[in-house]
Amino acid sequence: MRRAVLTYLALGIGAILILAPYLMSVQTSVKTPRQFAQQPPLAPPRPPTGANYAELVVGGHTLIPPLVVTVQVVVVVVIGQLTCSVLAAYAFARLDFPGRDAIFWVYLATLMVPVAAVLVPRFVLLSETGLSNTFWGIVLPSMFGSPYAIFLLRQFFRAVPQELLDAARIDGAGHPGVLRHVILPLSRPILATLLIITAVTHWNDFLWPLVITSGARWQVLTVAVAGLQSQYQGNWTLVMAATTLATMPLLVLFVLFQKHIVRSITITGMK
Amino acid sequence: MPSADAAPAPARASRRAGGRRPRASARSGTVGGSRRADTLAGYAFLAPSLVGVGGFLLLPVGIVAGISLFRWDLVSPARWTGPSNYQSILTDPAFGRSLAVTAFFVLLVIPLQTALGLAAALLLDQRLPGSTWFRAILVLPWISAPLALGVVWRWLFDPSDGAINQLLGHRVEWLTSPTLALPSVAAVTVWTNVGYVALFFLAGLAGIPPQYAEAARIDGAGPWQRLRRITLPLLRPTTFFVLATGVISSFQVFDTVYAMTRGGPAGRTEVVAYAIYREAFVDFRMGRAAAMSVVLFLLLITVTIAQQSWFRRRTTYEMG
Repeated sequence: MRRAVLTYLALGIGAILILAPYLMSVQTSVKTPRQFAQQPPLAPPRPPTGANYAELVVGGHTLIPPLVVTVQVVVVVVIGQLTCSVLAAYAFARLDFPGRDAIFWVYLATLMVPVAAVLVPRFVLLSETGLSNTFWGIVLPSMFGSPYAIFLLRQFFRAVPQELLDAARIDGAGHPGVLRHVILPLSRPILATLLIITAVTHWNDFLWPLVITSGARWQVLTVAVAGLQSQYQGNWTLVMAATTLATMPLLVLFVLFQKHIVRSITITGMK
Repeated sequence: MPSADAAPAPARASRRAGGRRPRASARSGTVGGSRRADTLAGYAFLAPSLVGVGGFLLLPVGIVAGISLFRWDLVSPARWTGPSNYQSILTDPAFGRSLAVTAFFVLLVIPLQTALGLAAALLLDQRLPGSTWFRAILVLPWISAPLALGVVWRWLFDPSDGAINQLLGHRVEWLTSPTLALPSVAAVTVWTNVGYVALFFLAGLAGIPPQYAEAARIDGAGPWQRLRRITLPLLRPTTFFVLATGVISSFQVFDTVYAMTRGGPAGRTEVVAYAIYREAFVDFRMGRAAAMSVVLFLLLITVTIAQQSWFRRRTTYEMG
């Protein structure tokens, strides 16, 4: 009994420490700059105002274009990365051809390449081909599959019983047919997991879009928020509304699919 | 990116299917198809990912090594300088400081987030009613954009307008003080990662058969002893995974630094990833930035290998 009380106490303190920054930023986002300037930072807004949000939705600092770009980026990267990773994983798991194992080891070795270290050469590669500050510049490096997704999918594809594949082959299915009608339906959980993790990663991505784009046309949400912060230093009410808008869609998604997302994180260990 | 051999669930799946490297895969393609057709199909299926892995991971490693031997500002033609960029950065006190800042950051973040994550997991593992909700709350920062969270914390730490100094009741220059800036950034990183680390320890704890702790209890072991002698040793593969991924990602921290300090004051929070960014995209010294990237790459490989051999001497675990 005493132990349960202590556990709840510790968990409660942890929960407050995690939630407080979110709640305080939301509270600041519904203040006017005047209220914010005249009262202490934690004073409740009287009355709350939606003016900052209006400014960021329909006003001069609208985040709608960056939101649209972000959604496009996430959709293209998720579809591209999943498709290419599934194809590669099928080849590694279910086909026998010369060079397969060597190539697989090369893929595994690339897991060691840190993103920060390939920032400069990726930028050079894409800007020399005229793709800097374009949509394709943002998505190309990640839309052709990720070695880690390939690795995970390969594990699952190998676990599919051989008899099922043989049966499909005898019925006349080619490799694409086997993949589509036998393997993919059995791999729904891992596919959902990769979908979630890839979407979250690219929704939150900042460094690459920051480097490869400039100006407003292809700004993603994170870059737009960073831009607002440096442009309006001290105008925290507007900036807090922007961070709230940028994090809100994923938080809503998280509340809806909490269990699945938590499991996805532990399965993939990805960020 | 996490190391390959610690992925928990799929490894189990493949074991269920009948052990390592099933011969089945050698048979699979030959039902109704020739070997040449299989080779063709294999490379056709691999083609898109070869573009991705070859073009955006392997080729860049070659390119970055190449660029590091030139002086280049992206505008005028690149000029061959040989290894002088390496001499220049390795004798540059700013880069030395950047490496030290990164090491200090990793040393602050890793022990704290691992210990707190483990503590949170042990609390959640008691499975009291409502645990799922606490677990969900702890994970929230992990799915929020680090950039956005960094901006929020930049406000919370603000000396005059921020919430933290109001709660404290006096003015502290968190992000402009040379001694407090890096610990503040590290604290935010720990705050972001604790829930994520806890999730892995929770999964690890779930895999420990309760009989072990029960047997130890019957033998008279107290809770602290059971934790030290039974739970922690059995959690070692999880601990390795959490440490390995944690070290690799905190070595590359960028978004939080960008939002909170931009490397300041006077370079006291300029971690290596930020130094590469500034060198390449603020000062346009591509050669030096490339040389720094190569150093970061070599450093991370060394750290990864060192960690692996250190843990391998103490643990055996299944390869995926």
